[in-house]
Amino acid sequence: MYRFIHLYRLRMCASLAAFLVVAGFGTPESAPAQTITADPLSGKLVITGASTLAPLIAEIGKRFESIYPKVRVDVQTGGSSRGVADARQGLADIGMVSRAMKDDEKDLRAFPVARDGVGIIVYKENPVQVLTDEQVVAIYTGKITNWKDVGGKDAPITVVNKAEGRSTLEVFLHYFKMKNTDVKAQIVIGDNEQGVKTVAGNRHAIGYVSIGTAEYDELQGVPIKLLSVGGVTASTETVRNGTFPISRPLHVITRTPPVGLAKAFIDYAQSKAVHDIIKQQYFVPLVD
Amino acid sequence: MAKTLSRLQNPREWLALVFVWGAAALVTATFCWLLGDIIRHGLSHISWTFLTAPPENAGRRGGIGPILVSTSLILGVCLAVSLPIGIGTAVLLAEFTSDQSLFGWMTRRSLDILAGVPSIVFGLFGNAFFCKTLGLGFSILSGGLTLACMVLPILIRSTEEGFRAVPASYRLSAAALGLSRTTTLVHLLLPAAVPGLLVGLVLGVGRAIAETAALIFTSGYVDRMPESLLDSGRALSIHIFDLSMNVSGGDANAYASALVLVIMLLAINGTASWLATYGLHRKVVTV
Repeated sequence: MYRFIHLYRLRMCASLAAFLVVAGFGTPESAPAQTITADPLSGKLVITGASTLAPLIAEIGKRFESIYPKVRVDVQTGGSSRGVADARQGLADIGMVSRAMKDDEKDLRAFPVARDGVGIIVYKENPVQVLTDEQVVAIYTGKITNWKDVGGKDAPITVVNKAEGRSTLEVFLHYFKMKNTDVKAQIVIGDNEQGVKTVAGNRHAIGYVSIGTAEYDELQGVPIKLLSVGGVTASTETVRNGTFPISRPLHVITRTPPVGLAKAFIDYAQSKAVHDIIKQQYFVPLVD
Repeated sequence: MAKTLSRLQNPREWLALVFVWGAAALVTATFCWLLGDIIRHGLSHISWTFLTAPPENAGRRGGIGPILVSTSLILGVCLAVSLPIGIGTAVLLAEFTSDQSLFGWMTRRSLDILAGVPSIVFGLFGNAFFCKTLGLGFSILSGGLTLACMVLPILIRSTEEGFRAVPASYRLSAAALGLSRTTTLVHLLLPAAVPGLLVGLVLGVGRAIAETAALIFTSGYVDRMPESLLDSGRALSIHIFDLSMNVSGGDANAYASALVLVIMLLAINGTASWLATYGLHRKVVTV
């Protein structure tokens, strides 16, 4: 009797194992990179890089998939540096980079898909309305540490900086001509929404985030406000018309001139057909 | 009663009592506050559609259907791999290796070190080994295997403790009855060690299901319904992280997803302890 039960259990185990093997390894889609078949618009496209761009490209990818049902667009995050590295090594078909391309990245082909402004944010009830570029630099380098020195209340300034490798950090430092080692930050953060939450939760904080994100959160009643830079109001509108000085292009990149599926996708991501998605993700479509 | 009262008149006793109760109250309050916050913000968004529909507009709208499936598959792979290896190693350490042996000592120490390694390290290892070296790419399989590496130390150590908690008289009696070591193991020691295994399982599943860092580079970010274990699939924890930290306006769905995660964890833990009480444990009692 026992023996029968044992046999039965063994068979259960065996069939379970067989099922796992079939479910896992039996499928033919094992190639991680783009699989080119006879029809150019089928197969899998792997896109990695900037977390800022990931939700946007993923949404564009979904619409692309709905047009070409045989296509799979896989978007992975990890930062612009990773987008560059993966595109170079061929681990990704397309990389995402949320800044202008650098001089040592001339080997890659870059295609802008949208723009994003980087705005300086403070707590909503902070009486400071405007900061000159020199004041921002002085605050970020620790030369000014109290709000009263820039026309605010007598309270210590909490400087919020972005983590190394983040494109917003590079754009910000580039505009204010600072080095990251000069920055005396109390808090170091990663994604945009984290920056908004940090400043919203600290009455004396100053930080910088994507303008689209900040504008949306301000509308939703999150207690932050965008400061104007160089006399220009920080808004998606001023980013679009090019008057706002701190902005960055959002790129997709490839190692070689794109062909087939990658080309089709990049053309689509640059077309007017996705402008509504770009606005929906609080970025600014390129004026064409 | 009188004794307790007289004790309470001593200020030192009284202080200690306040401290102990205070600490317990603080822990409970933190948990209740956390749970209350999640329920308050998340409950109104949970519906059948939310649980089954795919995410829309980067997760701000729509549901978490494919993400739930991916999460379950990742956890399934993790357990299918870690349970047999974990129990096997625990048996070896507890039953076939003496306390003093160098091999046992080294295995235990390395497991203890591994148990304390930050999950991002496992993530990078998983990305380098499973995704690149083994060529599995960003896939549910890579994610599950990485999680298996991460939970194995916890699983092995607590299962081993479970085996060690079985009285030596069980083994001696079994030997006296002429039972083989395998029979003793399967019918006597294993069921008796279930409580230890369960502790490891609950801790391990808890760590695995809440994992973000180890999964973002292995199972990935794709929120489509997975078609096979070699597809990339977003885990619930990554979805919550992305919605709250990267997607403006994603908070409501982040809370709802967090609530689902908590419920899932409670359900798994509940099932595990139910199994232990009514399933496997009874076997030993009736023998």
